[in-house]
Amino acid sequence: MEVVAIDQISPDQVILFTWGIVTVNATLAYTWLIMGLLVVGSLVITRDLSSERTMSRWQNLMEVIVGTIRSEIREIAHEGTDTYFPFIATVFLFILFSNVFTFIPGYVAPTSSLTTTTALAILVFVAVPLYGITKNGVVEYLKEYFRPTFIFFPFHVMGEFSRTLALAVRLFGNLMSHEKVIAILLAVTPLFFPVVMQVLGLLIGLIQAYIFAILAMVYIASATQTHEETGHKPTKETETVKIQ
Amino acid sequence: MHIDWFVFLCQIVNLLLLLWLLKKFLYGRIIGAMDAREAKIANTFEEAEKARDAARAAESQYEQRLQRLETEYEGMMNSARQEAESRRKEMMDLARAEVDRLQERWLETVRSERDAFLQELRRMAGTQIYAITRRVLRDLADVELEKRIVEILMERIEAMDEEERRKFRDSVAEGGFITVQSAFDIPPDEQRRLDEAIHRHISDGAEVVFERTDDVMTGYELKSDGHKIAWSIKDYVDSLEEKFYHALYEEAQEKR
Repeated sequence: MEVVAIDQISPDQVILFTWGIVTVNATLAYTWLIMGLLVVGSLVITRDLSSERTMSRWQNLMEVIVGTIRSEIREIAHEGTDTYFPFIATVFLFILFSNVFTFIPGYVAPTSSLTTTTALAILVFVAVPLYGITKNGVVEYLKEYFRPTFIFFPFHVMGEFSRTLALAVRLFGNLMSHEKVIAILLAVTPLFFPVVMQVLGLLIGLIQAYIFAILAMVYIASATQTHEETGHKPTKETETVKIQ
Repeated sequence: MHIDWFVFLCQIVNLLLLLWLLKKFLYGRIIGAMDAREAKIANTFEEAEKARDAARAAESQYEQRLQRLETEYEGMMNSARQEAESRRKEMMDLARAEVDRLQERWLETVRSERDAFLQELRRMAGTQIYAITRRVLRDLADVELEKRIVEILMERIEAMDEEERRKFRDSVAEGGFITVQSAFDIPPDEQRRLDEAIHRHISDGAEVVFERTDDVMTGYELKSDGHKIAWSIKDYVDSLEEKFYHALYEEAQEKR
């Protein structure tokens, strides 16, 4: 059962409801589904949080995920982990959950829609200067576009746009192509191969979520630390002490 | 490659909404729980550190106390040893003194017995010598020894020089009397002869008293107020006693 026909490139084309300009398509529907799952799951898991040594396995899973994201952010940004964490974690969790459910028949990942990936990329595109300005001020942030000389300004601007475009298209391309490959394989060899591809799809989905989140973090970090001295060893040491 | 701009805006709103919801329901709570656990662990470590420090302090304190107790124990043992040693020495000294005292008493007893023995020996020797001498004299001269002794006494009285006679006379003049002591009973005839001899050579008015005593052994003594003339085999016996004493002493020394 395929929701998106093979000739349809995106779940955007599967219109569920329309009223004027208000159009509810499969992308929106599955996005809400993922959002609902994440929010309800969060509520369930955080219902009986324990700060003792023993905890529920769901809480343990969430702590591992949250801890991993935080440590990744810390490695890239070195400081202000908790400032960037909600944004990066939300992007990562949304993409991850959107991608991993693709093994469910009838489900179409919202991230295989260019609209969704563009929205995500635009959010990153906006978040980068926002964090940069918040951290360093407007002037300092804008100065970065003229470093090392003013000649580099157009290249910086082009870089901003091109990387946003790359973010959007990379995620969309991977997910969409994977779904199409699965559909084609189902038609050609209905047994075994689609299963292998589904397993591969889980890995791709995870990697893409990771790549998107890491790149977003790198862009934000580059905007906030552009002219600062590199090397934030004290943060590392602080972390080491904390672990001990 | 189609982008639905309404859906695009919706997705942006959706994602921002999701961000807010997750921040509210997930991150804050999870991070709060993690931080609380971290704080608890840190607190536990801190408490463990404190407990360890306290345990180390207690260990050090107990070690010091143990060391002090050992030192005190050593000191007490040494003092007890010294006390025991001094006590032992004291008791040994006491025992030695007791042994010395017993030895001295024993020696005293031995000496006393020896003296008593020698005294008895002297008496017996004197008696024997007297008996032997009397028999010898009787056998040789056919004269009774007592008679001969009385004759010797009379010869001595006659042979007294004037100085000796004057001493006896002075004594008699002061109211004293002349005592003749002998180891045997002098026969009445001899007593009379002696009486006459004394009256003739010493003093006419002198009162003469005859006494028999074992002290002079065989022989006689003529005494008056501290002055006396005597002849006795006591001298010979004394010589015998001395020789006998030396022989006995040397034997005792060899036994020791």
